[in-house]
Amino acid sequence: MAGTIAIRITSSGSAAVKSAAASEPAWLRRTLIGITLLFLGLFLILPVVAVFGEALQNGAKAYFASFTDPDFLSSIRLTLFTAAIVVPLNTLFGLAAAWAVARFEFKGKSLLVTLIDLPFAVSPVIAGLVFVLLFGLDGYFGPWLLKHGIHIVFAWPGIVLVTIFVSFPFVARVLIPLMQNQGQEEELAALSLGASGWQTFWRITLPNIKWALLYGVILCNARAMGEFGGVNVVSGQIPGLTNTMPLQVEEYWDDYKFVPAFTLASLLVGLALVTLALKEFLEWRTRVQIERSEKLAQDVVERIAA
Amino acid sequence: MSIEARNISKTFGKLIVLDNVSLEVKTGELVALLGPSGSGKTTLLRIIAGLERPDPGAGEVLLEGEDVARRQAGKRGVGFVFQHYALFRHMNVFDNIAFGLSVKPRAARPSKAEIRERVHKLVQLVQLEPQIGRYPHQLSGGQRQRVALARALAVEPRVLLLDEPFGALDAKVRVELRQWLRRLHDELHVTSVLVTHDQDEALEVADRVVVMNHGKIEQVGSPDEVFNRPASEFVMDFLGQVNRFHGQVTQGRVKFADVQIETPEQFPREGASARIFVRPHDVEVTRARNGHPALQTTLLRVRSAGPAVRLTLKTSTGEELQAEISHEQFAQLKASPGDTLFAAPHGVRVFTDRTADQVVDEGAGI
Repeated sequence: MAGTIAIRITSSGSAAVKSAAASEPAWLRRTLIGITLLFLGLFLILPVVAVFGEALQNGAKAYFASFTDPDFLSSIRLTLFTAAIVVPLNTLFGLAAAWAVARFEFKGKSLLVTLIDLPFAVSPVIAGLVFVLLFGLDGYFGPWLLKHGIHIVFAWPGIVLVTIFVSFPFVARVLIPLMQNQGQEEELAALSLGASGWQTFWRITLPNIKWALLYGVILCNARAMGEFGGVNVVSGQIPGLTNTMPLQVEEYWDDYKFVPAFTLASLLVGLALVTLALKEFLEWRTRVQIERSEKLAQDVVERIAA
Repeated sequence: MSIEARNISKTFGKLIVLDNVSLEVKTGELVALLGPSGSGKTTLLRIIAGLERPDPGAGEVLLEGEDVARRQAGKRGVGFVFQHYALFRHMNVFDNIAFGLSVKPRAARPSKAEIRERVHKLVQLVQLEPQIGRYPHQLSGGQRQRVALARALAVEPRVLLLDEPFGALDAKVRVELRQWLRRLHDELHVTSVLVTHDQDEALEVADRVVVMNHGKIEQVGSPDEVFNRPASEFVMDFLGQVNRFHGQVTQGRVKFADVQIETPEQFPREGASARIFVRPHDVEVTRARNGHPALQTTLLRVRSAGPAVRLTLKTSTGEELQAEISHEQFAQLKASPGDTLFAAPHGVRVFTDRTADQVVDEGAGI
């Protein structure tokens, strides 16, 4: 599941020019479109419809009855709580990392960029295991933590740690190309006009990256709330205590409680749909931002060439 | 406010960008730093502004006699105009110009009404009233540059530093803007340093020109001095069109091919090789010898579009020589390609190995 959310911030391709030679016969076009739609229907739309269908199989009353289950509510609370810690931390980390990469030259910079991608490359289960190895009862720090009464594994801190790990690349990944593209001249101009570093950040840097930043944040949030594998390893699956929403869905499923399982799943699907909609909007805004900075840069280049 | 840069050195890794450079700019002066790309002129400007620092211990910058090493760029009273404008892309013209005023500490910050008034005055000064609400991407290059200038002037800097301000503009706009800049300077009298690689720009706008090459200053002087009395081969070559030949010292005079060059100075070292420079407009072209030492040449090409007629001549030794004469003279000459013409160089500059030796000796003696 690692790294399946593709990040694309490419400037929109030039409008495709259709020539007679490039247009395929109608039957081929229809077949290709048909196959694509069939796949989308089979693997994406049908499951989404099925989730809501199953959740509502006994009517709306049963659907809303699930909301009274304490375990159900507890899993929602834990997921929101985790996201509330993880997303701000990873936003700060992403900003700092993007700033460092885009603004400074230092040794090991390309290594840092590669390391940022690590969570995309590693299965989250491995991440979970590593945290168990470090903080579990038999782990390196386990005995010491036990002595001091600190619970990380099988408690919420472990869930937070794993979630931080799996969701930290998103903000940095989105910001690095944008900040490299925009360069640092505007910030230098602000400083030369007497602005403090803080004023420069709030009034120049942040407005220039705000859409991309938001975009990274909602991707990070979606990943944080949807994480299953890594969290599964460290949570211990204690209902009402260490079950996040995805874990609780599995719990219900294993207990043959299909209506609450799909009800909870429908909330996650709803989150995904909102995320997708926001992502589309923010991608569009980011593209506009990049196009403007490219247009400014290109104007300059053209004039120099002329 | 006067600017003094003392013994500035700057290296990026192994690359020496500035090599012990010293520069003085008097209050109210407009000085141009002129040089090819890579000569270190922009780095020197950025060091004066505080956007970059000299190598540790290598040089100091004094503004009005005060060492500003410990002062941040924003606290030096310096207005900086960036080559690529660096306008704030998410702000319109008004907000761009007002920025420097609006970030002042509360005690020093003018009221909203005062800011508005000051910005409107500047917008008038740079003739952008109709564009005041526009964003940078909606402006032309020339308009953007004027916004950048107004933005730098808004904080009433005591020094204005301009990094290739017209480099990214069309040739025509460039000429208009630099004349406008000169008028503006005559009005405001703010001490200004302008970096450019365009010699016409430097010669036209500046009170004094500083010619730089390879991280060193080659010559400092008025436009007239650097153009007409270049101190080095580089300056001669870099400022304007020039013909360059290799000759030899014989009997204290320099000879090229069979022609003895008329120079005021004597060259004592017999047989030394000499580089001879003559500008195209200093070459007199005649049908027959007229008493001046002249080269016998063949006319290759004529280019008469422009304020003067440009002739490409070929000497008997096979070298090409450019000459520039007036349309009137060309009409009298009645020459066409293939004709034999005589070219008499005047106002020749000669650099021999001997003079190069002398410069080195003097340098070592200091």
